[in-house]
Amino acid sequence: MAENWYGRMRRFSGGPTRFLSETNVEVFLTELLRELRDDRATFNLKVLLLSPLCEYPDLLCSSDSVGQETALDLMSVFAQCPRKSTQFRSHLLVALTCVLICTSCVRSRSHVALDFLDLLFQVAQDVSDVHNDDTSRSLRATACDCLQEMETCCPGLLSQRLELLSGLRQQETSRLHQVYAGLQTVVLKNAVYQLTQEPGAGAEHLKCLLGGNTSFAWEVDQDAFQTDSKDSAMLSSLIQGSMGMMPTLHTGPDCKELRSVLSSLLEESYLFTPLCQAALLHRLTEVVAMVPGIPPTIFRAQLLRLLGTSEVCLFHATLLMKCAFTDSLFSAEDETFLLKRLLVLSQHPLLSIPEKLFYMDCILHFPENRPISCSDSDEALPVLLTPQLASTLLPTVFNDSATMLARLHLQSLVYLEEGVEESRGLVYLYDHLTSMLNIVESGGSREIVVTFFRAAFLFLLYFSQVHSYCLDLSEQLCRLYLRHTRLAPHLINLANQTQERLPECTWAIGLLRGLQKGITKALLGQLSLQDLSWHLKVLTRVAEEREICQHCSLGFLSSVITTSPLGVGGDWRLGNSFLAVCRRVLLHPTLDSLLIPLADILQHLACYYGDADIQDHARLYYTLLTTVSQEKLAMMLAQEAADNGPQVKKRTLSSLMAENEGLTGALTVHQTETAVLCLTLVSSEGPGESGQLHEKETEDVTDVLEAYRSQFGEPGFMPDVTLKYQLVHKQDQDPRFEQLFNIRLHFVLTDDHYEQLQDINVPCVFKGRPPPVVQLRLKPRQPYPTTLRVSAIFTTQDGFSWHTPLPDVHVAFQQSFLPVPTPPSWSGEARLQLFERLWEEISSETGDCAVSLFCCQLQEAELNVLVGKHFCPFLVSHPANEDEFRVLFFLPPQSHLLLKVRSEVDAVHFSIASDSWQLLPLINSYLLTVTSSQEDTTS
Amino acid sequence: MGLRVLWIISHEGGENASIRFSRRFPTVEHRARSLSGSSYVAVPEDSLILQPLLTELGISSSNKSYVAQRDDCIYRPRSPALELRLDGEKTLWPVLNISQGSLILACLPLVDVPSETRPPLSSLLSVSQGLTLLAGLQTFLLGSGGKPYGDGLISRLEMLPSALLQVCPLGTPLDVPLVGVPTTPAVPIPAGTQKQPAWKTGLHRGRAMVNVAVTETVRSMQYGNQSRQDLWDVYGTVTCKCEVEGVLPNVTVTLSLPPNGSPLQDILVHPCVTSLDSSILTSSSVDNLDGSAFSGPYKFPFSPPLEPFRLCSYTSQVPVPPILGLYQLKEEDNQLRLTASLKLHETVKNNFEYCEAHLPLFNRNQMGGADVKVSFGQVDVSKEKNLLVWALGQKFPKSREVSLEAKINFSGQSPGPCDPLCTGLTAYIKLHFKVPDMTLSGCSVDQHSVQVYSSSKPRIATSRELLCKEYYIWNSTGAAPVSGAQMTT
Repeated sequence: MAENWYGRMRRFSGGPTRFLSETNVEVFLTELLRELRDDRATFNLKVLLLSPLCEYPDLLCSSDSVGQETALDLMSVFAQCPRKSTQFRSHLLVALTCVLICTSCVRSRSHVALDFLDLLFQVAQDVSDVHNDDTSRSLRATACDCLQEMETCCPGLLSQRLELLSGLRQQETSRLHQVYAGLQTVVLKNAVYQLTQEPGAGAEHLKCLLGGNTSFAWEVDQDAFQTDSKDSAMLSSLIQGSMGMMPTLHTGPDCKELRSVLSSLLEESYLFTPLCQAALLHRLTEVVAMVPGIPPTIFRAQLLRLLGTSEVCLFHATLLMKCAFTDSLFSAEDETFLLKRLLVLSQHPLLSIPEKLFYMDCILHFPENRPISCSDSDEALPVLLTPQLASTLLPTVFNDSATMLARLHLQSLVYLEEGVEESRGLVYLYDHLTSMLNIVESGGSREIVVTFFRAAFLFLLYFSQVHSYCLDLSEQLCRLYLRHTRLAPHLINLANQTQERLPECTWAIGLLRGLQKGITKALLGQLSLQDLSWHLKVLTRVAEEREICQHCSLGFLSSVITTSPLGVGGDWRLGNSFLAVCRRVLLHPTLDSLLIPLADILQHLACYYGDADIQDHARLYYTLLTTVSQEKLAMMLAQEAADNGPQVKKRTLSSLMAENEGLTGALTVHQTETAVLCLTLVSSEGPGESGQLHEKETEDVTDVLEAYRSQFGEPGFMPDVTLKYQLVHKQDQDPRFEQLFNIRLHFVLTDDHYEQLQDINVPCVFKGRPPPVVQLRLKPRQPYPTTLRVSAIFTTQDGFSWHTPLPDVHVAFQQSFLPVPTPPSWSGEARLQLFERLWEEISSETGDCAVSLFCCQLQEAELNVLVGKHFCPFLVSHPANEDEFRVLFFLPPQSHLLLKVRSEVDAVHFSIASDSWQLLPLINSYLLTVTSSQEDTTS
Repeated sequence: MGLRVLWIISHEGGENASIRFSRRFPTVEHRARSLSGSSYVAVPEDSLILQPLLTELGISSSNKSYVAQRDDCIYRPRSPALELRLDGEKTLWPVLNISQGSLILACLPLVDVPSETRPPLSSLLSVSQGLTLLAGLQTFLLGSGGKPYGDGLISRLEMLPSALLQVCPLGTPLDVPLVGVPTTPAVPIPAGTQKQPAWKTGLHRGRAMVNVAVTETVRSMQYGNQSRQDLWDVYGTVTCKCEVEGVLPNVTVTLSLPPNGSPLQDILVHPCVTSLDSSILTSSSVDNLDGSAFSGPYKFPFSPPLEPFRLCSYTSQVPVPPILGLYQLKEEDNQLRLTASLKLHETVKNNFEYCEAHLPLFNRNQMGGADVKVSFGQVDVSKEKNLLVWALGQKFPKSREVSLEAKINFSGQSPGPCDPLCTGLTAYIKLHFKVPDMTLSGCSVDQHSVQVYSSSKPRIATSRELLCKEYYIWNSTGAAPVSGAQMTT
């Protein structure tokens, strides 16, 4: 069993949704909780079993009620668990916290959540084992962590316990005082924030809050729970740069109590781990920022220690402090010092690369005392950062890629501000770029190549106006390309991106012109097939530019196909590359002057190229070129043609022309952005034929059970579940989807409880006409509820094919119920007999069988309505017999659910028998649904 | 504050990537959902995260030379916070990551600053907390040496759930996992009035001992060229191992410089240092040297943790590099002529633990004949590696100058090793040396200056050493790559 669990847990963590779709979530959860209670399972296994609850509580507990039940179960496991298994108990507390928070039980303050809070406080205060070894303390620590998380997720939850927490922290001398302090700080911050939101709250309220006189605080607390928006505001950090609006609490200078709490926390902060210290400082910064009565200088005593720290989180907390308090805590000297520190830290040889990059980011968002720009997200250099200071962060070829690019970015900003004229810095940056280019040229790795092109792009982005450098870069790139033609995609990408980002700049055209020149002057004899195909890619891109003359491109093409052995070889791909250039030239505005050379090339390809397909295409292009006017040609080839309504013919023609563009448009199946269609259930019109009770003569059946069971062996006897749906349009659709043809519905199972479904064809769906009805025939393997993924492929009037997802179809448990499939000749009596025999058998066997009892409060009349509404087709007892109803559900493929429903004095009893115990939770929730809906309708 | 998810991934050059460990923090995720409202992007399941992460790190599809998604030249600050592009236009940001060898550690901090545009990283405390946790986990998994293979990693990964229960049970990092158990027996602290530091797991019992080691590292780029300034820099670290009784014992270590020594700069201290004099922090390498700057003694009062730790680090500007070199290459008659000379500065102790010069000659055919003469030491010619290793041993000769001359032809049939930084006449000598019992800055810790406030008399040991790293002497007849105004890498 344990082995089995290890495997299941592995599969679960590999893909939780997939795993859960293949099983029944409720059953899985039940089994999990049962195993947790099993004394035979080891604690190692139990810790593993808790991981789904610790990591995916919302997948396992789909509703608040499931969450509450699960939490109750876990708490009973906790109560029964021996004290010495601290690890497991700690994990249990974590799991409980996750379940309760994620199912909103804490927010809604359900009883379970409040009980759990009490439990946590009990554990957190349990100092009885203070002299035990270190491990038992971790349970107390975990309890505090859980309390802190509950307070963080539901701000204000513990406001009224501030004094208690403060006392616990002060008494504690072991390492645990840190977790108490962390908890106290979070609660304090949230409580102060709540007070700031209270009109008229002041020093008195604050004093009461800290002094444990919680009547004020409690009222505030209750209110705060009513609104969601406040809640989410309290979740976020209050230190948000110059634009953040800080809520304030006006107390006047008299807040001794708060001041003394803050001082004592700060004094002890040295004893905390750096991570906890940073969090504490950050929260206290928020508190002091909210209470103007406390001067920020309260932090002064800690500052020197923090400014010299090697810990990234402590230095960061200090920067955030500066962001909040600016010159009320940090002098101009401090500011200069901090900036220099950041520069030092950004390139310190002992720090890790991610840390250095983070510090560099901090320079770009330096919290200045008097910021000039007000934007809170744009990168702007601090005024204090002179080029001389910044020179410590010059990029070098020895940097890793990320550092190099980040430095180049920063330097570009520096020199851009300085003014680029005669800038020594710019000379350096360009030299650096050249150094990188040389490394690429001598065979740098892929990473270096990519980094170089990014660096080149950055340089162009900032310095495209400095023509001398850009011109030189362009020349160098052309030279580089001719040595390494495989860089073609990088160069094309660079040209595209600079054109997009710098629409005014003509640099890309210059580059492409240079490439064209380089390619067309190359010696054909030395050309390899590889080189040639890259050249053709570049020339295709060059031909897109209206301003570049295409004569030499065509000259090159012509000489390749006429003189080079590569030109007529018959390689289909290469042939296509030739055609791609020609196709682009066909669209070029100067086509008139290119007519003769282009025609020559096409004719040559059509006659001599060694691939029939290429020949055909070349012939077509030739025909078009020589017979159609340029305007018409342009219209045919224009890609936009297809977008203006149903112009099927035009598109088809241009598809023939340009197989890469138009044709793919017509041949590919397009994806709709949203669902176009959906399936809605047709409410069934009462029971099927077989549900009627036939008062026929009973055949001579000696053993009903045997006779009934023998049917299952007969070929072709397998009742399936047929569900009817209407295929309808979803609301607010694009008008082109109003008439759909040839719809093919495809179903994908999300689990393996059912056999694979066949596709269904529907000829057409028109908006405004009665929707077609489709029948889904489900063949269950297990009678569980399921969800079907549905998609459809259809054709629209303009000839396009589309693929669209449909909303999932959910098959409920009760949809798989069928009346028991007895032979048609059987009378009601025989069915009743069958019921009794099945009941006996289930009651006597153990195995998979199970009996159970479900009770609920229903009036007799209500019960009759319920039976008539939900059970009628499945009733085997005589309807007139109202003392006890017997209901027999058949759940294909071979499960049964038997009910004896009887009104007792206090309640209605549903005795349940089933030959599959796994169904019990489903049966239970089904009965809950039908009975509660009954209560609702009658009350 | 908080982390939404943590991943540990192994891969082999971008291939065979697998998630070795992942941990989600659903309560933080719950907060993320309410904070980001309609713009919320859920953390996808593990199987969907690998490809976007590897693509963003530039190591996916390593067999393809160009992949548009991976290699686009648009500049986005990629590190330390990646933006993962998920299916359907959605992006996940900021994914922090640390890579070492074949191991990637990544986490996703909570963005708790409401902002219409993306808030700067520096406004999120969880970013530096995430980086700290990732670095701590990296040390926990790989040790400070960092060998990512073998059973060690597997057993460490198995210990991770219980380690995380201690240091990050619900997504808020509280500490970094303890790497090893302290070697000395530590006993739990009895209840008392003195509060125990949270970073100290127990108490030391036994004889008091304080060990202070100063290690300096020198880096250099020498060009042998009038038009380019040679560069060098020195940084030092002071590591301590203290075994002292008491809950919060006081120890003070004092660093001192010789008279006229240039001041220690950029001092960074361990969080266990209790207080600092502001004059200690004033000197910075980004300033011009100021003659009046504070130059010690540098006092560091602290209360030590049980494990060894780095008390402080500093940088220093020394007037000359310890070894000055000149390297010249000439191509003639299908031969390469090398001349190299090295001179040990007179202030440097002529007593090495080891000293070697490596002369790689890459991006050529394999070496054929090599005719090498040296004035001192031994040369090992590795023809397969196209590398000359010039071993100088423990001492330079009295003259403190050594030289090498060589003629090499590259007549081998097969191509030798490649390195784009070392092509043609762009070539270098790389030095490797270690000098015990000296520092370049002159910084030292006097045994008698270490103060320990303890009942028993402590045993105090101090040591120092000089190492080199990235010590390059470039060929003065070729173009050396641009490498910054300072020694910054």
